[in-house]
Amino acid sequence: MNSSAKSPTTKLCFVTVGATASFHGLLQQVLDLHFLATLSQFGYTHLLIQYGRDGRSVFETFLANNPSERHGIIVEGFDFNTAGLTKEMYRTRADHERGTGLVVSHAGTGTILEALRLGVRLVVVPNPDLADNHQEELATVLDKQNYVIRSSVQNVAKAIARAESKKYRSAGPSSQEAAYTSAALKDQLGFLD
Amino acid sequence: MAFTFPWGLLGVILVSAALLGVSTIAILILALTISHNTAVAKCRPKHTPAHLLVVLGSGGHTTEMLSMLDHMELDQSLYTYRTYLVSSGDSFSANKAVEFENKHKPDAPATAHTNSYSVVTVPRARKVHQSYLSAPFSTLECFWACLLVLRGLHPDQPRLPGKFTSPYPDIIFANGPATAVCVMLAAKLLRFLQCIHRFFSRSQSPRIPRLRTVFVESWARVRNLSLSGLLLLPVADRFFVQWPGLGGRRAWWGMQKTEYVGWLVL
Repeated sequence: MNSSAKSPTTKLCFVTVGATASFHGLLQQVLDLHFLATLSQFGYTHLLIQYGRDGRSVFETFLANNPSERHGIIVEGFDFNTAGLTKEMYRTRADHERGTGLVVSHAGTGTILEALRLGVRLVVVPNPDLADNHQEELATVLDKQNYVIRSSVQNVAKAIARAESKKYRSAGPSSQEAAYTSAALKDQLGFLD
Repeated sequence: MAFTFPWGLLGVILVSAALLGVSTIAILILALTISHNTAVAKCRPKHTPAHLLVVLGSGGHTTEMLSMLDHMELDQSLYTYRTYLVSSGDSFSANKAVEFENKHKPDAPATAHTNSYSVVTVPRARKVHQSYLSAPFSTLECFWACLLVLRGLHPDQPRLPGKFTSPYPDIIFANGPATAVCVMLAAKLLRFLQCIHRFFSRSQSPRIPRLRTVFVESWARVRNLSLSGLLLLPVADRFFVQWPGLGGRRAWWGMQKTEYVGWLVL
């Protein structure tokens, strides 16, 4: 059924729920046969999940009940990585015959910035349990400007389909803006003309 | 003899307390407005070294700050001394600061490098989940520690290299964390006291600008300023924002506005 044994082509979806706050809602949405079927439909072969400090039991229970022969997706996971997620994110980008993979992430600023720097395709899912609504605002404006796709927890599977046809905008480095700020800093020193 | 309550005296006390309160606020607003509208005195001789104080803080602030500094490519021959301010218990930020310094190490011998920066730890202004009842006390504690740092008296601080004639940092650069509020208010207080002192000593010679403050609102803030940002709006000498919707804001009429500069952190 799955050709991954013969052919080396892979298409990876990497899901990160964040290291600090738990985000079981997102974990439950992606550890779901409907979500896996959607992945399969769009040619994905692998699902990698960073499930956080307290997500291990949810993850392992699902894996035990749903071996990969049943849905055709190879599911792997880890709790968190103190060295950052650059490597995992980068794995989704590698140009394969099946097309570029995808990162699904909580709305943490650090993760979003890292994804934009690497130029990976990103779906941002704000955590509704967190009181801070500025994460929500950030995700919305980045979606509007086509840098990412913003999705609610319930509609993550639909976001996979949307990501397939989305024209992602890539963000350039901040060098020009930073040079302006750097000059502003120097202005404050009051050097003689 | 019957005791009559001295209503007249109480009235006098209340009125003078109110007057004192109102005039304090008026002086504060006036001082902040004057300070905000005074141009930087251009009296620093060329090629004098500068001392930069960078405020780090957990919750993404450190990562944003260091990537910003990375892009800003600050002139190492100008900012020859850097102080990194971190909150207690935040070893992540302290390590990142050292990592950053090592990455940007000039080709000079290592011995010359060790005395070009320091990492100073101050008490946290408000811990996550700390009650708002005890927060004012820990904020005061943080403020006091910041005053010590600015005056070069904090135990974590080694002696500044000899070419620095003042313990005061020249520029304080920060983004969101609560420590930024403490250190920038402390800087403003020191500048105010300096100004009063100059007034009474009738000093006329221009003073080299020090303790200047530059604040950058976090990239994650799109439509609303953070609490730190709101508090520092009338305080910071330059206030940069990274989303257009936050540009042009000011604390009150006659104050400098926030400047939209685009993304600094990518």
